[in-house]
Amino acid sequence: LEKIKINPYQLFVLIVLFEMGSALVVALATDAKQDGWITLLLGMSGGIIIFFIYYRLFKFYPDIPLTSYVQKIIGKFLGRILAFMYIIYFIYIAARVLREFGELLTTTIYASTPLLIINALMILTIMYSIHKGFEVIARVGELFFIMVYILAILGFLLVAFSGLIHLENLRPILENGLMPVIKVAVGQTLTFPFGEMIVFTMLLPFLNDKKKAKTVCITGMVLSGINITISAVINVATLGVDLYARSPFPLLNTVGKIEIGNFIQRLDVFFMLYLMVGGFFKITIYFYAAVMGAADIFRFKDQKKLCLPIGMMILFSSLAIASNYAEHTKEGLRFITIYLHYPFQIMIPMMLLVIAFFRNRKKQSQG
Amino acid sequence: MKQTIVLFLVIINMIPLLSGCWNQKELNDLAFVMAMGIDKGKHKQFDVSIQLVNPGNVSSGQNGGGGQGLPIAVYKSSGDTLTEAARNLTKKLSRRLYYAHTNLVVLSDKLSKENMLNVFDAFEREPEFRTTTEIIIARKSTAEELVTALTILDKLPVSKISKQIQTSEKMLGENIKVNVDDFVSGLVSKGKQPIATGYLVKGDKSLARKAENLTQTTTHAYLMADGLAVFNDGKLTGWIENEKARGVVWVLNKIKSTDINLDWKGKKGALNLTPIRSKTKISVKMKNGKPMIQVVIKEESIISEVNTAINLDDPAVIQALERKMGRKIEKEVRSSIKEAQRKECDVFGFGDKVHLAYPKYWKKVEKNWDEQFANTIVKVKVYAFNRRSGVRRNPFWNAMK
Repeated sequence: LEKIKINPYQLFVLIVLFEMGSALVVALATDAKQDGWITLLLGMSGGIIIFFIYYRLFKFYPDIPLTSYVQKIIGKFLGRILAFMYIIYFIYIAARVLREFGELLTTTIYASTPLLIINALMILTIMYSIHKGFEVIARVGELFFIMVYILAILGFLLVAFSGLIHLENLRPILENGLMPVIKVAVGQTLTFPFGEMIVFTMLLPFLNDKKKAKTVCITGMVLSGINITISAVINVATLGVDLYARSPFPLLNTVGKIEIGNFIQRLDVFFMLYLMVGGFFKITIYFYAAVMGAADIFRFKDQKKLCLPIGMMILFSSLAIASNYAEHTKEGLRFITIYLHYPFQIMIPMMLLVIAFFRNRKKQSQG
Repeated sequence: MKQTIVLFLVIINMIPLLSGCWNQKELNDLAFVMAMGIDKGKHKQFDVSIQLVNPGNVSSGQNGGGGQGLPIAVYKSSGDTLTEAARNLTKKLSRRLYYAHTNLVVLSDKLSKENMLNVFDAFEREPEFRTTTEIIIARKSTAEELVTALTILDKLPVSKISKQIQTSEKMLGENIKVNVDDFVSGLVSKGKQPIATGYLVKGDKSLARKAENLTQTTTHAYLMADGLAVFNDGKLTGWIENEKARGVVWVLNKIKSTDINLDWKGKKGALNLTPIRSKTKISVKMKNGKPMIQVVIKEESIISEVNTAINLDDPAVIQALERKMGRKIEKEVRSSIKEAQRKECDVFGFGDKVHLAYPKYWKKVEKNWDEQFANTIVKVKVYAFNRRSGVRRNPFWNAMK
């Protein structure tokens, strides 16, 4: 393991950038129509509860990442298999985010550039940053956090001053009752993006001030959750329910509508800048967790050597996982949630926690 | 030595990445589409006329530039879909069509009456095309005649049309700016029908596209806004004209200013008042299980013309004027609403308001809201305020007495 220390502020920044990452970009919770923002808030609350599972595990083993403590909890052999599965999971999700990133660029501005080229450029940049180590990534995060915030505030003001926000589009609230909203919250927003905090079980041991882990993570989740909710509200208020539900990238359409006094207009580049930053951090963190986990279970002394092979795996699987965008989103909404997110984010950690609890109790009573 | 070689190789490898020329589009290879006119086709479904800007001939000024030619060129093509028509055009055109600057889409009334729905998805889906592009309906003339016409003050006919709509929406309020997004949201919504401004070529249509048309102060042919087109189920069903159109724009809360003539003591058109700001609020109430819609207009005006002897120093007179004004606007708005109800076409979005206020009731009526709308009671209330009277107090008529 690398000797790495990051401070609570850096962790906070990374959590916010990670959670907002692709969640702001893609169409999230559109099944709930104008109540999307409620599902996001519900998802956030659920995500915080799930985070407490990770936090308890972290309290049992504050110095080692997930891939190491599963080996302690359920034994060397089974633990390694499980850790290996987690690594595959991280690689797969990184590939999905990369695909979304490339897909957006090819649908909007680089219509005739192959997906491979765009994805390759992105993954090369990420491989470089991972090669430089996690502390560098954290510092880059600090830098871009400010930039993203300036962009977001500026964008919000421009949308507001263009007179685009029609809050009546959000009504009627809970038109079809509470059930559809809960369904979407449980089926989508709980696991994406809030349940994805699982990846931070790999990174929490780097925190230099371990006592602050809980506060930092939860404030990070709440802040990003509120930001995502605000953006969902603005999207619905600007586009109307119909266009919001039919748009693959609602925020892009919202930003495209900005028009002040005939000369501040066509600000799609705002969105593109955000997309680069958000996509970069989301993929980087998944990628780094995979590299770290692989180095851990396969006992690599120099984990930098894993950078290239895993990077290539992410790049090529990002192209291979789906043959078109419809397939990609269908997988994301219907299959990934049930067969990947739920077991890896909720069930396995919960099971681990129960076993860890009994093991540590036995140890304590023996000691 | 080894380091130098590695560095050199890295730099060499950077070059193809840095050029940024994967699919470069040089400015002189692009044809900027300013407007698209879509007619019902003779052989295929659509006849599309594409108005391109001729950049060299638009610029004028210090350099003594502004070539001799015309500022626009129009190419025509046909196809069963818009994309087919646009791609067919490459047979006639040396450049690649570039849609990012398209400002106007013109649909002919003939097409609008039949299958206008087939054009909108192409506009929405194409990433280059902006959905903030305006839509107008060519009236009593074809879309082709409209996009080929030249205009005298603005070199680009497109900017003439969009500026005109904007100005008269503000100053007169008889037409309204509608873009692709607005239109589609009207098509999709069950509680609202889309509207669009009508446009026509007046005068000798064959001269509209010729340069000599522009060599006179009164041109033989010119472009003019006329009426509001009303749609039902994606088909043009009728027109709302002049004052009734203004009533519609009034209910939609889009009016900034306009002018109202008032009679005084038997003299027709004795006064003219211009509203300077106006706000419309629409609310819904349930009465005996049926929705009742209340339109409240609050309007402030100034006196702009007085052609009779009248004592404007007397607040009581001003109040009388305010009452007269209120009644006049009320009458106008009511007649517009009647007109829309007669056409069974909810251009005001009252259905959406009912949806917001009474979602459960809405579920029952959304299927046949058009008929419901025709029988809904709409109450109109106007609060008119008259603030000041320009830079004269009493008119000279008083002194002549």
